[in-house]
Amino acid sequence: MDLLIQLTLNGLFNGAHFALLAMGFALIFGTTGVVHFAYGPVYAVGAYAIWALAALVGLPFWLAVLLGIAFTAALGVGCYLFIYRPFEISGSPPFVVLVASLGLFIVMKNLIGIVFGTGVKTVDSVAYDVHFVGNAFFTTVQLGQVAAALLVGCGIALFLRASRYGKAIRAMADNREMATVIGIDTTRLSILVFALGSAVSAVAGALVLLRDGLNPNMGFGAVFVAFVAVIVGGVGSLRGAVIAAFLLAFVQSLGMWQIPTEWQNTIVFVVLFGFLLARPSGIVRRA
Amino acid sequence: MEYLAHILVMVCLYGILATSFNLLIGFGGIFALAHATFYASGAYAAGILGTKLGIGFPLTLLAGVVVTAGLGLLVAFPAMRVGSHYLVVITLALQAITIDVLMNSKPLTGGPDGIAGIPPVSLFGTALTSPVTFLPLAAVMAALCCAVAWRLGASPFGRSLRAMRENEAAAQAVGKNLVRMKLVVFAMSAGLASVAGTLIAHYIAFVNPESFTIEETILILAMVILGGMGNLWGSLAGAAILVLLPEGLKFVHVPGDIADMVRQVIYGVVLIVILRLRPEGLFPETVFRTPTGAARSSVPANGPLSSAVERAGGTPGEVVVSATSLSKHFGGIQAVKDLTIDLKRGEIVGLIGPNGAGKTTAFNLLSGFLRPTGGTILYRGRDVTTLKPHEVVAAGLARSFQDLKLFTKLTVVENILVSLPAQPGDRPLDVYVRPGLVRRADRENVARALEIASFVGLLAKADETAANLSYAEEKLLVIARLLATGADVLLLDEPLSGLDTVTVERICGVIRDLARANKAVCIIEHNLEVIRGVCDEIVFIDEGRVLTKGPPDTLMRDRELAERYFG
Amino acid sequence: MTEIHTMPIAEPVLEVRGLSAGYGKRAVVHEVDLTVRAGEIRVLLGHNGAGKTTLVRSVFGLLRPSAGTVRYRGEDITRRRCADNVKAGIALVPQGHGIFRSLTVRENLELGAYTAHDPAEIRANRDAVMDLFPILRERAGQIAGTMSGGQQQMLAMGMALMHRPDVMILDEPSIGLAPNLVQRVMEAIAEVNRALRMAVLMVEQNVVHALPIAQSVTVLRTGRKIYEGPPEPLGDRQYLMTLF
Repeated sequence: MDLLIQLTLNGLFNGAHFALLAMGFALIFGTTGVVHFAYGPVYAVGAYAIWALAALVGLPFWLAVLLGIAFTAALGVGCYLFIYRPFEISGSPPFVVLVASLGLFIVMKNLIGIVFGTGVKTVDSVAYDVHFVGNAFFTTVQLGQVAAALLVGCGIALFLRASRYGKAIRAMADNREMATVIGIDTTRLSILVFALGSAVSAVAGALVLLRDGLNPNMGFGAVFVAFVAVIVGGVGSLRGAVIAAFLLAFVQSLGMWQIPTEWQNTIVFVVLFGFLLARPSGIVRRA
Repeated sequence: MEYLAHILVMVCLYGILATSFNLLIGFGGIFALAHATFYASGAYAAGILGTKLGIGFPLTLLAGVVVTAGLGLLVAFPAMRVGSHYLVVITLALQAITIDVLMNSKPLTGGPDGIAGIPPVSLFGTALTSPVTFLPLAAVMAALCCAVAWRLGASPFGRSLRAMRENEAAAQAVGKNLVRMKLVVFAMSAGLASVAGTLIAHYIAFVNPESFTIEETILILAMVILGGMGNLWGSLAGAAILVLLPEGLKFVHVPGDIADMVRQVIYGVVLIVILRLRPEGLFPETVFRTPTGAARSSVPANGPLSSAVERAGGTPGEVVVSATSLSKHFGGIQAVKDLTIDLKRGEIVGLIGPNGAGKTTAFNLLSGFLRPTGGTILYRGRDVTTLKPHEVVAAGLARSFQDLKLFTKLTVVENILVSLPAQPGDRPLDVYVRPGLVRRADRENVARALEIASFVGLLAKADETAANLSYAEEKLLVIARLLATGADVLLLDEPLSGLDTVTVERICGVIRDLARANKAVCIIEHNLEVIRGVCDEIVFIDEGRVLTKGPPDTLMRDRELAERYFG
Repeated sequence: MTEIHTMPIAEPVLEVRGLSAGYGKRAVVHEVDLTVRAGEIRVLLGHNGAGKTTLVRSVFGLLRPSAGTVRYRGEDITRRRCADNVKAGIALVPQGHGIFRSLTVRENLELGAYTAHDPAEIRANRDAVMDLFPILRERAGQIAGTMSGGQQQMLAMGMALMHRPDVMILDEPSIGLAPNLVQRVMEAIAEVNRALRMAVLMVEQNVVHALPIAQSVTVLRTGRKIYEGPPEPLGDRQYLMTLF
């Protein structure tokens, strides 16, 4: 019973982490159509930046996080403006943009290793508590993940629903040509979603830094989970991506009840597979 | 010396990986990002068999190829069901799962530590343990694999793959069985990649999961892109460049622990730069084009109908296709209801009606691209209602598309060649087992394709890439491709739209010739003047139903029909 | 009918001169001249592939013409960005999906006024549009993609009207609609033209329904203009057939 509670809790916390990653990726992919593979390393670089600011420079953690988020947003925008946009302008087919993003992926991933080394990076200046539910436990950082996912989720939902730019983003995701027809500047919006999506990933990165620490390989798992969540959730639906993210986390976590820990990716794959075959349009189908 | 030999061995192995990956993405246009998985499969097959069962080299190679080709088939099945983004995700997932399996099946794979002590290859009593002794074997195997890949790529089957890559619907419409083609290319590509895996396992006597991550797939992808998609020699060059390029690092004293990462950065940068500057790669695919050579000069320009089109049998006026009460609905929308139409030998039927009347849907039903929700289609008495598009073409009914769907990167003559029926070279087995037959048949086919090109007036452009044609020439090529299928029943979807009067006259002439060759022809057309000039019968469709049919002059005088047509 | 001819000739709003356009190397429209005058409905006819859509898309700035000029109220707007054309007072209702299907009717309308900034003005325009198309008020909260084809077409027009354009370009508003709906859409276009004194350039294939509301007609065939003038002569279907 305690194990079940622990696994459920883990599912919840991991789900929050996945949901953050999926929201950022979904914003970018759903709006611009770019399969932003380098989203993984951008997220990792953001987390390393926060680590460097906190552990090397010695800034207070909250300030390091704020600066790190801004830096990550700028990095995401840089990816768009200097890598993807030139391809868009020259009318390259989508697969060319995808391959470019793969190139960017290995460049950034390995630059992290070169600059920061391959060892695990942790921050020990931030103290946090451990809470118990019976014999199951969780930390304040994990609570923070859930709170961050909730806050960011509600914030994005509100932004998309109520603000002028938010509506424009939904419009562009729905029908890009029609967005141009009504006078929306799609380039400016693409910059905006790359900034937003990357910033969201940096929030996830800050919390993972506290929870597990960082390693240069963290990007692949992140973009993989985010991509799968977006596909399973239904392309173009932020809500679907969040639901799928939690679903993946719970399946993974509860799977551990019977299946050894190491098979996590395999479990994700099986869920993805079942979904693509049974319901190719994802959890939330578009109107 | 040992160092140089080692570099060359690596060039050979990556050459195998890049050429085999090129078959899949460059020829087949299948964007599956899991090549490192197939590579790993070969390597671990050798590792496991070599250390656990004491099985030696030629057998490990064979086992690796068989297992990995099977794995390729396994991946191919879901890959065929899903579109491009999904395929990327699925294969990415496969890549992740591979690492999982290798890491976690400790008793078999040794987990993160991998498998050490894999026995070296021994040939003629000597163990090939040093790079210098291994190089000849690597070179021979690479040459062999490249020959196998090249044979396939340069064969009519390879041409069909390139056509499928350009446009899947059009490839089906000229009779290609896409399912079979995808299975074959997946299995071949995977099997060849496993050879590199087996070799590396024996060569360095060690395998571990780290060598087979997504980065490895991206590296092989970079080699293919750099060399040029669809050009197998290019892939060899790409492999050589990307293996050699980072060796320069040796001279700038990069610390050992980051050298590997610097190498990866270089790969990534090369990939992005080549995509920006030369997306078609260093060596474009032109060398794999089918040469027309001497055959071209022996074909007269503007050749006669008789040499291009075989006269269809049967008596003129006989009903060949008889579709009865066809219906089709999409969701709640009834696109076609109770559509009945007969096509007769030697007659031209014009399908007219306002936009959205269901004309193209009717073609899609007749040609097997859509399955009707009700009704039957008989072709010479045989029920063809539920056949797949390529089976319909084989039966003798072919169609063209409103939006042309040419194989744009293929030459004019290749566009026609691909469409010729029953080619021995389209059977992968015959490509290897009966090369003489394949070569002879293809020589004849080239001659035939040239005659067809000549008939429609495209002989002068035979070796031109379809993408460089004028719009009128594109339309002529569509007709040529349709003729090449050898079908008795030809459905032409707006063959004349957007053309100047001279070309309209020319195509009308061709269409009349087809009827003269006893073909049953059906055209969708908006230009009423042309319809009146060409058709023997007009079928007027509105709201998915046949409203009326009859000779053009009678129908066009009908005031009510005119109102409907313009309204 | 005679009334139109005796009216003084109005100022041109849109003037297209020698426009050629196409996709890649393929030219679809060849040196076409076209004028839309203030307050008139000009209908652009022609069968499939005649180049009508290509023409209006290059006028609006969605496509770059290869030659020729487009003037709007005397100002050269050739190759100008869509957003600037929208701000200047040109609206396009594209063929087919001229709406955002996953958004509500109200959101669609608000997005139609994307280039406007004054909330009071946007609200006033929305009310005016809803007065013109009462169905949009009834369905304000509904997801646009779940409405019927005719209602979606009304919404598409309503969106275009949200920023009070001087000229509205419609690309085949009748496509995919049942005949009685086509009639209703045409009436709505005539009503908009009358009530707002707005110039309309309408691409159509549906001659029967488009001609009654047309004040002037241009017919394209294979990218060239082959008729320009009043709608009346085209009432003769035999003559029309020679044009098509």
